[in-house]
Amino acid sequence: MDRQVSLALMQDDELLPKWVDTVKRWGVLFLSTVAGPVVGIMAFLLMWSVAAQNIQTSLGQFPGPSDVWTQVKNLQAEHIAERQKADAFYQRQEERNQARLQVDPDYKPKIRAYTGKETFLDQIFTSLKTVMSGFIVAALIAIPLGIAIGLSRGLYQSVNPIIQVFKPVSPLAWLPIVTMVVSAVYVTPEPLVSKSYLVSMFTVTLCCLWPMVVNTAVGVASIDEDLVNVSKVLRLPALKHVQKIVLPASIPMIFTGMRLSLGVAWMVLIAAEMLAQNPGLGKFVWDEFQNGSSDSLGRIMAAILTIGLIGFLLDRGMLQLQRWLSWDKSSAER
Amino acid sequence: MKYGRVVKWLGVLILLLSMPWRLGWSGEQLGFPEKEELTFGFIKLTDMAPIAIAYEKGYFEDEGLYVTVEAQANWKVLLDGVIDGRLDGAHMLAGQPLAATIGFGTEAHIITPFSMDLNGNGITVSNEIWKQMKANIPKRKDGKPVHPIKADALKPVVEKYKSEGKPFNMGMVFPVSTHNYELRYWLAAGGLHPGFYAPKKGDISGQIDADVLLSVTPPPQMPATLEAGTIYGYCVGEPWNQQAVFKGIGVPVITDYEIWKDNPEKVFGITAEFAEKYPNTTIRIVRALIRAAIWLDENNNANRPEAVKILSQSNYVGADYEVIANSMTGTFEYEKGDKRAVPDFNVFFRYHATYPFYSDAVWYLTQMRRWGQIPEHKTDDWYHQVANKVYRPDIYSKAAQSLIDEGLASKKDFPDFATEDGFKPPQSEFIDGIVFDGTKPNAYIEKFPIGLKAKQSL
Amino acid sequence: MNTLLQISDMGMVFPTPKGAFVALEHVNLTIQQGEFVSLIGHSGCGKSTVLNVVAGLYQATSGGVILNGKEVQQPGPDRAVVFQNHSLLPWLTAYENVELAVKQVFSKTGEHSKTKTEMKEWIEHNLKLVHMDHAMHKRPNEISGGMKQRVGIARALSMQPDILLMDEPFGALDALTRAHMQDSLMEIQQELNNTVIMITHDVDEAVLLSDRIVMMTNGPAATIGSILDVPLARPRDRLALSRDAEYNHLRSDVLKFLYEKQRKVENLNAPVNKCDQGENANHAA
Ligand SMILES: Nc1ncnc2c1ncn2[C@@H]1O[C@H](COP(=O)(O)OP(=O)(O)O)[C@@H](O)[C@H]1O
Ligand SMILES: [Mg+2]
Repeated sequence: MDRQVSLALMQDDELLPKWVDTVKRWGVLFLSTVAGPVVGIMAFLLMWSVAAQNIQTSLGQFPGPSDVWTQVKNLQAEHIAERQKADAFYQRQEERNQARLQVDPDYKPKIRAYTGKETFLDQIFTSLKTVMSGFIVAALIAIPLGIAIGLSRGLYQSVNPIIQVFKPVSPLAWLPIVTMVVSAVYVTPEPLVSKSYLVSMFTVTLCCLWPMVVNTAVGVASIDEDLVNVSKVLRLPALKHVQKIVLPASIPMIFTGMRLSLGVAWMVLIAAEMLAQNPGLGKFVWDEFQNGSSDSLGRIMAAILTIGLIGFLLDRGMLQLQRWLSWDKSSAER
Repeated sequence: MKYGRVVKWLGVLILLLSMPWRLGWSGEQLGFPEKEELTFGFIKLTDMAPIAIAYEKGYFEDEGLYVTVEAQANWKVLLDGVIDGRLDGAHMLAGQPLAATIGFGTEAHIITPFSMDLNGNGITVSNEIWKQMKANIPKRKDGKPVHPIKADALKPVVEKYKSEGKPFNMGMVFPVSTHNYELRYWLAAGGLHPGFYAPKKGDISGQIDADVLLSVTPPPQMPATLEAGTIYGYCVGEPWNQQAVFKGIGVPVITDYEIWKDNPEKVFGITAEFAEKYPNTTIRIVRALIRAAIWLDENNNANRPEAVKILSQSNYVGADYEVIANSMTGTFEYEKGDKRAVPDFNVFFRYHATYPFYSDAVWYLTQMRRWGQIPEHKTDDWYHQVANKVYRPDIYSKAAQSLIDEGLASKKDFPDFATEDGFKPPQSEFIDGIVFDGTKPNAYIEKFPIGLKAKQSL
Repeated sequence: MNTLLQISDMGMVFPTPKGAFVALEHVNLTIQQGEFVSLIGHSGCGKSTVLNVVAGLYQATSGGVILNGKEVQQPGPDRAVVFQNHSLLPWLTAYENVELAVKQVFSKTGEHSKTKTEMKEWIEHNLKLVHMDHAMHKRPNEISGGMKQRVGIARALSMQPDILLMDEPFGALDALTRAHMQDSLMEIQQELNNTVIMITHDVDEAVLLSDRIVMMTNGPAATIGSILDVPLARPRDRLALSRDAEYNHLRSDVLKFLYEKQRKVENLNAPVNKCDQGENANHAA
């Protein structure tokens, strides 16, 4: 290209159009990949701030982009402050343990986790952890189950009605039952993870389960007959058949199911956290709503944007994983 | 005071009998806590302050307790949390441990070794209702309404709504909440019937024969529910009355201080099982809470601004500083601009506020009986036995005594533990002037013009 | 020459929602070691069904197939199949597709086992045979249709089957590619002298490649109408043959069979009595 440019500068009339063309092409590329989204976002921010100025709530004016940005910075500052408090907490604990050892030599000192409030960042992390673990548990159940259902007509026929009935049920409807069952079943004196975490996690699992089972089963059942025949001619043992033929062939459908369920799971988790007051971004939103302070709406908007961004990144992440794992690159587009 | 004495001797007897498991008398060294990691629940209300302060000021840590403080969605979730062990203890409505112990609602033996505060609630009506009520209220020379405002002023409004066939709805926070009883007391004192409960017939809506229909809304959602027009008014704790003023959506008409001067309000509730299993932990919790209460009222409320700052953190009450400060620093704003001094609106320690008086328990039980939550006649003895089972001045006294012994509190601020029988002298400062004597609950119930009579059942 | 495969009185009835459907009846065929036999007939007459029964993918409802003196019960690598749609595993490269077969057939302990290096050589040898050594490490979607079919053949050959079953292997290819493939196949046949059953509906292909052409009647209840010997000398050259009188005579014989005797008439109402027969046959079996 350099040569083209320098030639063009030498006023070669023939080459000029080519040079212009190159610039034009880059220009179009710039417009479509950078300028387009930037213009879109700018327009959105503008509309948002104009609309915000015209909405009066009982908690004051609706927060505009700059208010939300202020709150984002506040939340970050709070996070840092809380970490400092945590450090002080650990130090005090250390001293207290030492002091107790002086009078009570039998005492086995123990470091307890910081008891202070969960910051916005902690809540983000909690939600992410919950959604990922619930999702993985669901995948561990759903994919083998889906494969079994997809392979066996008999199993399909016996399980299908159950799946069809449970699939349309909002996992939020399960929430009370999950809560009660976890409370009843999960009784340990020194719990490794909290009950509320398990409740949220199982809600996510329930939510992910059905789309994954259905998609996996459909993927498995719709494998090209010829490929199955290849396996038969080769007399592949059952396990090898699954490993070499079934699993790779249904990977695109399995991923479709996984992406679908992760998207829904993220939405449902936020709602479940709001409803059950389980730690996470949903609880953050609900707490702020209940606080009803003049900063609350700005903080809620910050949380909404965060939730959206994370949802987007989760989807991209799944897509990337699919690109990486799946042979069928065309199924991983969009 | 005959009953009081009986109860006292009973208490001493029980104490003596249970000596082997319980901690020894004062003077004996208080042991290390059996359970150190604790989770306490609260509802976003300013009267949770003792818990927040005990945490923030390090009083819990001083006792070797590592406490996590968690806001709860509503009173039911909170109570269930304590019952099923998710929470070790919580900021509770005074009625909750009593109701749970007698089995109205979820049955469980909950006790309270510590009263959290006096007063602190208010009744707010929507702007629309206030406009109509105002016409019925006499004015002072400066044009402002004469206080206390009685429900007499509301009565014509309710009657108008009734004649138009519109139900008159008001919100309170929980069936056994102080707010329910205070709102009912105020309405009934003004000739408005708040409705009976009939749990035996399966009716726990509390709206039988009601002029005003009361329903449950969690405290932080009160302003939003009022704004939405679902209810015309509510009774709730702070800051949710002041919030209505700030938002310009309603007007507080009366504080509970004016309904019953220095009424006992929230308590700290734990299960009886917890207290038995972890006696040292229990005493240490109470010690930390007493110190927090002292701090809150110290030097004539000098620490209140700092307390407000702590409460306005998003993990505690979370409302704006100004909103919380409005009631916590000795004032209360009624109609916008009508800010009056109510120095005792929030009492955390003065007037023996933290001592769990049996007579306080009896008052709540009488109100439960009055409105049918306790469906049948009970003997005076029964009231005293329940009070004795739930309210635990024995634990309180040990905690307070050990603080006194260590010089962390002064003896003069507490009742004389040797002679205190747990019954306050008859109290007369109610809005309707009816005198309450905790030793004679049935006689008290008989005095109300509106409400079930002592032997009446639905 | 000795008999390798014997199809005796084979019948096939498919249960369908509308009742039993008799696809094949009384199919009898004997194939010698090293013979190249093609099956020709109108679409839907039952050629694939015959092949699938031989492969063991279908179970005949009556009669059966004997290979090397043993009855065929289930599919196996001794009867390698080349499918019409290549049926390569799309997530594996050409090499890996062949490798899957080779590993499955030769990794067992026994007389046929191969070491790792032997296997590698064998895979490459087979791919070379079909002229695919240059694109061994490409995935199916990176190569042309003809190349895919070549890999499919390599995979089948790599199993060292007793018989090679090909179901319209070149049906989906354009004419030029098809000619190339036919030449390649003849070349391989020259070298390996495999026993082959190939389904086709291309008359030229049948005459060019086969030792015998088995012509099937139209279904339902299709069977073998006639068998035509192709005594043309090998190696065969397509250009030379096009001017060869015998070739053209054979060609017109097949055409006559297909377009005079077995003209395809679309019959909308399937004959009910045949179905009843099929049902009886079913019970008998
Ligand atoms: N699995 C099956 N179930 C029902 N009918 C089938 C099945 N397979 C083939 N058929 C029917 O048998 C007949 C022969 O089919 P096929 O052997 O595929 O024909 P060809 O290969 O000659 O085109 C067709 O009418 C087809 O519809
Ligand atoms: Mg066919």
